[in-house]
Amino acid sequence: MTLTEPAGARTDADTPPPKRPAAAARRRGALPQGTKKLRRTGWLMVAPSILHIGLWTALPVLATFVLSLTDYNVFDAPKFIGLENYVEVFNDPTFRKATWNTVVYTFWTVPVSMAIAVVIAVMLNQKIRFQNWYRAAFFLPQVTATVAIAMVWLWIFNPQQGLLNGALSVVGIPGRSWLADPDWALWAVILVGVWQGIGMKMLIYIAALQNIDESLYEAASIDGASSVRKFFSITLPMLKPATFFVFVISVIGAFQVFDQVYVLTDGGPANSTTMMTYEVYRSAFQNFRMGMASAQSVFLFAFLLVMTLASRRLTRGDDE
Amino acid sequence: MTAPVAQAAAVSVPPAPAAARSTTSRSARSRTTRVVLGVVLAVGALTMIVPFLWMIITSLKSPTELAAFPPTLLPDEWLWENYPEALRAAPFLTYFRNSLIISVGHTVITLVFGAMAGYSLARIPFRGREIVFMSFVAMLMIPTYTKIVPQFLLVKFMPFFGGNDAFGQGGTGWLNTWWALIIPGGLSASAIFLFRQFYLSLPKELEEAARLDGLGELRIFAQIYTPLVKPALATVGLLTFQESWNNFLWPLLVTTRDDLRVIQVGLAVFRQLDGTAWNYLMAGTTLATVPMVLLFLFCQKYFVQGFANAGIK
Repeated sequence: MTLTEPAGARTDADTPPPKRPAAAARRRGALPQGTKKLRRTGWLMVAPSILHIGLWTALPVLATFVLSLTDYNVFDAPKFIGLENYVEVFNDPTFRKATWNTVVYTFWTVPVSMAIAVVIAVMLNQKIRFQNWYRAAFFLPQVTATVAIAMVWLWIFNPQQGLLNGALSVVGIPGRSWLADPDWALWAVILVGVWQGIGMKMLIYIAALQNIDESLYEAASIDGASSVRKFFSITLPMLKPATFFVFVISVIGAFQVFDQVYVLTDGGPANSTTMMTYEVYRSAFQNFRMGMASAQSVFLFAFLLVMTLASRRLTRGDDE
Repeated sequence: MTAPVAQAAAVSVPPAPAAARSTTSRSARSRTTRVVLGVVLAVGALTMIVPFLWMIITSLKSPTELAAFPPTLLPDEWLWENYPEALRAAPFLTYFRNSLIISVGHTVITLVFGAMAGYSLARIPFRGREIVFMSFVAMLMIPTYTKIVPQFLLVKFMPFFGGNDAFGQGGTGWLNTWWALIIPGGLSASAIFLFRQFYLSLPKELEEAARLDGLGELRIFAQIYTPLVKPALATVGLLTFQESWNNFLWPLLVTTRDDLRVIQVGLAVFRQLDGTAWNYLMAGTTLATVPMVLLFLFCQKYFVQGFANAGIK
């Protein structure tokens, strides 16, 4: 990727090998001038992005850490209070509940969904009819807005006229108010998350499956390996890099679940579906405790970082 | 990341004599497998589709029919007039237009500035490039919620806007403006990262030849390399559009005026104001969903490629 190479190669070709001083002079003279201009262009092309990312991502992240040490309600000047917010974050039963709910939600929408997605991907990777239609169907929820989708599910979960209770009544199972029941609301939120998230995991797995060398399976067939054996001995190990990638982006996504909670349950009933993100939202934009919200979001970030690094360590070993 | 594939492929497996099997039992078995596969996949795919169908069906029902339990599968009467009535009940068309403006805006900004940055980071060896690139990579990991509070404060205290003085005091800044809706979400580190990867995958010979011909760097970028990454442009453009169209929290936070609401926020507000008009709500939801569904069905190739490329490399 270095651009000094081509220039060097060219001069080597049409001039006899020069003595050292001459080469040095050229390096300082003709070539650097072009390079200088090139460098400037490089900077100019990346400058708008640096400004944008600097102002809207880097600065806010730093500011979050600073704000998390303050008591700030937007209207009065921020007051430095040290680690008090963090102490509250750790002792607040609601936030603890939110953390637990986020972990439960993540468990079902990441590892469990990934297992389902990999099976669907393997099935879709066979030569079957309507392959493209199936793939499109599974991916469809992923491209549509979570808010819109959650509206539809809100209606499906409706206790009086909803499709779910209607379908259950046909087979004789009594329905319930799924979203108003503290024992069931989180499951409803999880169901929507699994339903919406499977498509992308499946798609990445399909792409990875297509990269697996067909001859591996042929060789295994010749050795008499069963399909199940092939799945566990060839497919899964070969999907390891894809698995790591899917895991990381899915965990990041799952930890930021917000839209369906906002639409379906508002975090209720009795905080049974509140999430870390939802508490950040409540602290900042309902209670105007910006410092507190910042501390909660730092905690969220730290949690996420630890999970990502841990999974990296787990999958790295024999990758490289 | 493709290394293990290559390694494993290189491992030679000694050829063993193929077990002779009767072809009939084999094809019978594969037919059963095929049927089972088809059934499982069809049920799964149906599960994915049913909520969408239910949304459209509901949007065409009358209030009396909506009250029925168990619900009727198809409307007795297909009330297409629910759509114009829903548009009268809430300014869904305005919401729709706002979403469209913002999504197109984000896509254009990303395609122009993101591609430029990606190109520069991939192909121009300026000093400090590694640091810039690593900083962008670090930003990839930052969750939305870790920056949302300061972003909101930045918008609120934007100097010289919305009655604010030079210190950002006294007014509302960018709150309730198009600026807040379009600028902060205009670029993302992930788009720049993707662009860099795409530009990096192109051969070097082209730029060598172009530079020898004395072409300026901007022309090499615009006329030689960018046409070669058209599929990548389509992919990043579609992903940006999708993310922007589906975004909810940010527009919810920075707008309160009805004429600036995006469709996702509009839906949430309509539900709070008129929670029982499910047919109208579903009509609005259909409006909010249809553009992405159409875009996906027509550009499936790019979505799939996008995730495949972004995923594996």
